[in-house]
Amino acid sequence: MHSTIRPNAWVALKLPAGMHRVLQVAPNTTISLGKYGSFPANLIIGRPYHLTFEIQDRQPGEAPRLRVVSPSELHAEALADEASPGCATPTGPGSSEAAVISAVTTGEEFSLVETESGNVVARSNAEQLLDETARQTLTQDEIEALKRGDGTNAGKDVIEKLLLSHTALDQKTSFSLAKYKLLKTKKYIRRFQVLPIDVPNFANWQLEERDASKVLDMRAEMIGLVGCWANVHYGGEEVFLEDPQATTEEGEEKLPAIQEEQLRGRWLVVDDTCGALVAAMAERMGVLHPEESDSDSEEGQGGEEEGTKAMTTGEDAEDSDTEMAEAQDPTPSEPTGDATPADAANPKPRKPRASDFAIPFSQTNTITVIHSASQPNLSFLNYWGFDITSPCHLPHPLLNHLLNLTWLQLLKPELDTSYFTPPLVADAETLAGWKPSRRGNFHRKRRRWARIRHIVDSTRAGNFSGLVCASTMDPISILKHTLPLLAGGAPVAIYSPTIEPLAQLADCFSVSRRTAWTSGSVAEVINKSAEELERWPGTDDFPLNPSLLLGTSIQTSRARRWQVLPGRTHPLMTERGGAEGYVFTAWRAKPAEGRVEAKGKFKRRKTEAGAVTVGAEAAAGVVKAETGDAAVEPEA
Amino acid sequence: MQPPIAPQATMALTTRQEQKISPFLEPGLQTKASSLAILQLSRDNLLPVYLQATAGEHDGYAEGVVVNTRYGSFPHSTMIGVPWGSQIRASKVDTGSRGRKRKRPTDDDPDAAATPQTANETEAPAESGTQAEDAGNATAGVKQAVAASSGFIHILPPTPEIWTMSLPHRTQVVYTPDYSYILHRIRARPGSVVIEAGAGSGSFSHAAVRAVYNGYPSSTTTTGKRKGKVFSYEYHEQRFHKMQKEIVEHGLEGLVHLTHRDVYNDGFLVDGGRSPGADAIFLDLPAPWEALPKLSRRKPESIPGDEEWVSPLNFKKSVYICTFSPCIEQVTRTVSALRRLGWVDIDMVEIANRKLHTVRDRVGLHLPVDRGVNNTPKDVDEAITRLAEIEDRFREHARLAKGAADEDVTDLAPPPGGQNSSKKAMNDVNGKEGYHSWVDGRLVTRGEPEIKTHTSYLVFAILPREWTEEDEAAALARYPVGSEQLHPVVGSLDKAARKKERRELLQKQGNRKARRKERAEKLLGEP
Repeated sequence: MHSTIRPNAWVALKLPAGMHRVLQVAPNTTISLGKYGSFPANLIIGRPYHLTFEIQDRQPGEAPRLRVVSPSELHAEALADEASPGCATPTGPGSSEAAVISAVTTGEEFSLVETESGNVVARSNAEQLLDETARQTLTQDEIEALKRGDGTNAGKDVIEKLLLSHTALDQKTSFSLAKYKLLKTKKYIRRFQVLPIDVPNFANWQLEERDASKVLDMRAEMIGLVGCWANVHYGGEEVFLEDPQATTEEGEEKLPAIQEEQLRGRWLVVDDTCGALVAAMAERMGVLHPEESDSDSEEGQGGEEEGTKAMTTGEDAEDSDTEMAEAQDPTPSEPTGDATPADAANPKPRKPRASDFAIPFSQTNTITVIHSASQPNLSFLNYWGFDITSPCHLPHPLLNHLLNLTWLQLLKPELDTSYFTPPLVADAETLAGWKPSRRGNFHRKRRRWARIRHIVDSTRAGNFSGLVCASTMDPISILKHTLPLLAGGAPVAIYSPTIEPLAQLADCFSVSRRTAWTSGSVAEVINKSAEELERWPGTDDFPLNPSLLLGTSIQTSRARRWQVLPGRTHPLMTERGGAEGYVFTAWRAKPAEGRVEAKGKFKRRKTEAGAVTVGAEAAAGVVKAETGDAAVEPEA
Repeated sequence: MQPPIAPQATMALTTRQEQKISPFLEPGLQTKASSLAILQLSRDNLLPVYLQATAGEHDGYAEGVVVNTRYGSFPHSTMIGVPWGSQIRASKVDTGSRGRKRKRPTDDDPDAAATPQTANETEAPAESGTQAEDAGNATAGVKQAVAASSGFIHILPPTPEIWTMSLPHRTQVVYTPDYSYILHRIRARPGSVVIEAGAGSGSFSHAAVRAVYNGYPSSTTTTGKRKGKVFSYEYHEQRFHKMQKEIVEHGLEGLVHLTHRDVYNDGFLVDGGRSPGADAIFLDLPAPWEALPKLSRRKPESIPGDEEWVSPLNFKKSVYICTFSPCIEQVTRTVSALRRLGWVDIDMVEIANRKLHTVRDRVGLHLPVDRGVNNTPKDVDEAITRLAEIEDRFREHARLAKGAADEDVTDLAPPPGGQNSSKKAMNDVNGKEGYHSWVDGRLVTRGEPEIKTHTSYLVFAILPREWTEEDEAAALARYPVGSEQLHPVVGSLDKAARKKERRELLQKQGNRKARRKERAEKLLGEP
């Protein structure tokens, strides 16, 4: 994936000032970068990612052209600095000759002194720190005229002229000169870099430039941590249930039954980040990016066709109905993302259409999203060409691997109309008598019923491989209902922008709670079966069954960025603040039935234990209670 | 920390014909014999164990293979075929007589009675049965294990995180906070090919394999999706052998390609000159800049000779790199080398990770005397109440003492001072129903006693795909420029364009309105 920029792909254009412009590269359009200029989109389509382009001056009567800026040109200044032995000064007039230069601070004054000769190279003090604008002889209008002029050489000329017409340039220190030049370069140079929209780039852009609260301030470090601790990875070759070949006259009994042994590699998600978390997981599971065909010739056409096809399919109700059946066809037919026009020209032998009760979802490698509204908010998946609300969808890996259900469907399916109402039935004759649109609706409803039934039943069957959560809801309430669904040893990773909800959650599994629970001193617990304890409804003292998770831990990470330049290496002065972000991690435990003694063998306690005589039950009980505390969690 | 116990039996099993999926990638729902499992003894005390089903006595134990911990003895037979995450009770295992049988068969050691193991047995004699049933897998020759009360452990499926936590510190370990971020940034995804130089302890290798795994490569079908793979290089011979053994034991053959190699001089090509075709690179080497020229797309000037250059990189995609160095001087040199070799988007970060513990901060006079309880006033009111109480009692005592002289009352006053009385109050609370140490006190979070402030500096960079004049010409021919005028402008617009667009839109709408009006009039006119 992401070998070259494909037509209609979402990309991020990185501008000189460090901002990103995220857009879809439609062929035959013009892309405008505001003050940096505009260029035809076709000039970047089919080109590799991460190249830096320079918008060249427009020749009269022609579209602007792009030039690839070589890395050596990009790094020219840094490399030149390295070449100068002192490494202390950035390039500037006169400074390259300076042999060894050291910065000396004398009182108020800051000056650069050549150590060999003792000459002052540059100096700054209060009087000389003058208003920038006052020293710039070019007026704003003149600068504007320069920018509009024909021969700007992609902005480089403007920058040069600005530097030249600055009267106090010789009074600047090398540092301030470098800074000034950088500032002007950011403002006027007409360069951009094309980055692919993958999860790291997208999340970064959303966090830094768009609405960070939409992704709950989730930084890259946190996405990485959550993904790793929840052990999210490719969950195995896709497996589909057999098409029951149900005719339209048959009711619910024809629905293919859940086969629990086939359900593998499934992750449970609660996502209030508009789909950013789901996207990150899907990327880790290999179901986010549509597969790219390797041959270059197909690559172009397939993508171009995508847009037009999407438009036409929306038009007709009957047509769209068959489209959907195809899009969610369980057997992976043509390579996804490549609805080739070749198909239309010489149609392949059509596969028999799947029956209404055919389950389109894979049994392995799936993400199950539980949402609190009637529809999940996964709008960010649009950037990867997936729209969960679209009734007729182009082939996309997420179609077969993303399942969603509401909390109501999970916990009280009998209250959910679409789950509970039996499927419509009609014999072939009546069906044939109907209008196409009514027939389409009939099939759509039956398919929806079968899908919801399957999703709810398979989710309630449990044995999930992990739970991932980034939600605004209380994590205790989420775990209360999701813990029984997890397989033994399955990891739990919960992200929260603030620590308080996670601290409360971790406190439910505190040492003292667990000790009290396992030692049998909690009255409510006694005489409950393991099954009942797993679905512990929660009391004030024990909101959750504390024996269901082990290794609970809260952590946070922060990446501190550094500037690495010759002689000027230091951490960045400012970085994003706001919510710090924390991750709660644990593993699902399967507690042993009955009372469990936790004693452990510790040197300190050895004599104590030895002192207890046989038959002194009461005394032994006291010792057990005390040492048990330590044995469950020696770190406490 | 004991090293994992790896018998020859596991080696033989993994090399059989049928491909066994690594327990790291698909552990299944239950523990299996001859597979890796992690025993969680306590929170941070993890012990990797290869579970073995034995047919008879093993190493003097009647129960077969036994793991001995400070929480008791755990025969493998009690740990096979149980769901992952299960809590396993310790079993009564005769550890004492086993050693003696060999060394001093007749000696009746008087110390044996004092060992905690025997003490435990005498303390809780019953409680067997349940565990014995779990051990159904145990073969006839093995003695059925009997549960003991000395403690329990949990059995966890191996994951790269748990494996990293259980690693003995052989060498610099790349821990989870670092590798999770690195793998995210270098885009290690299912189907990627990752080069890792300096396999080290293998923590990164395991995490990288999980990230790139999308099925084992099969010998039968060569077409289809590209399979993810990790190419790992290790210079240190002992570590190489250790790592090689681990790969086999963990069922990662075919997913990790380990090479014993000095990458500074010999580069990254495998199988005698084949390119791994890497999409992402992780260098945990003391001098990454020496290995970097070997990771070029074209032959760099620094490498002499004129044999044909085979690049170890994927020629179709941008390649991501991360180097991991603890010192800033290493970073400077690495970054300089990256710049010279044409890498872009060079970025350096360091990861600071903190673990937090939650505790109940219990402060207050009303609380019982207990471990971790601070029996001082929790607020000003409580302090005042207490002071007033003391004053009261003082006055009372003085009055009584005075009165005693007059009325001959003998010793009814409580002893002065708050200490005793508050203790009494506490005892009252202690006996009270509803006081629980886990709900009382303020919930606070606290950092670890010792934090890792620096692991290493991470340098990231990207090497774009090669783009030649011919490529550009081909792309230009395929996507010709010139028909832009027919389409709207994408991205941010300048003012003029925006105005124009708006005008056109309004015009169109106006037209539509007019048309609708026309149509409506027509309809009205018809009947």
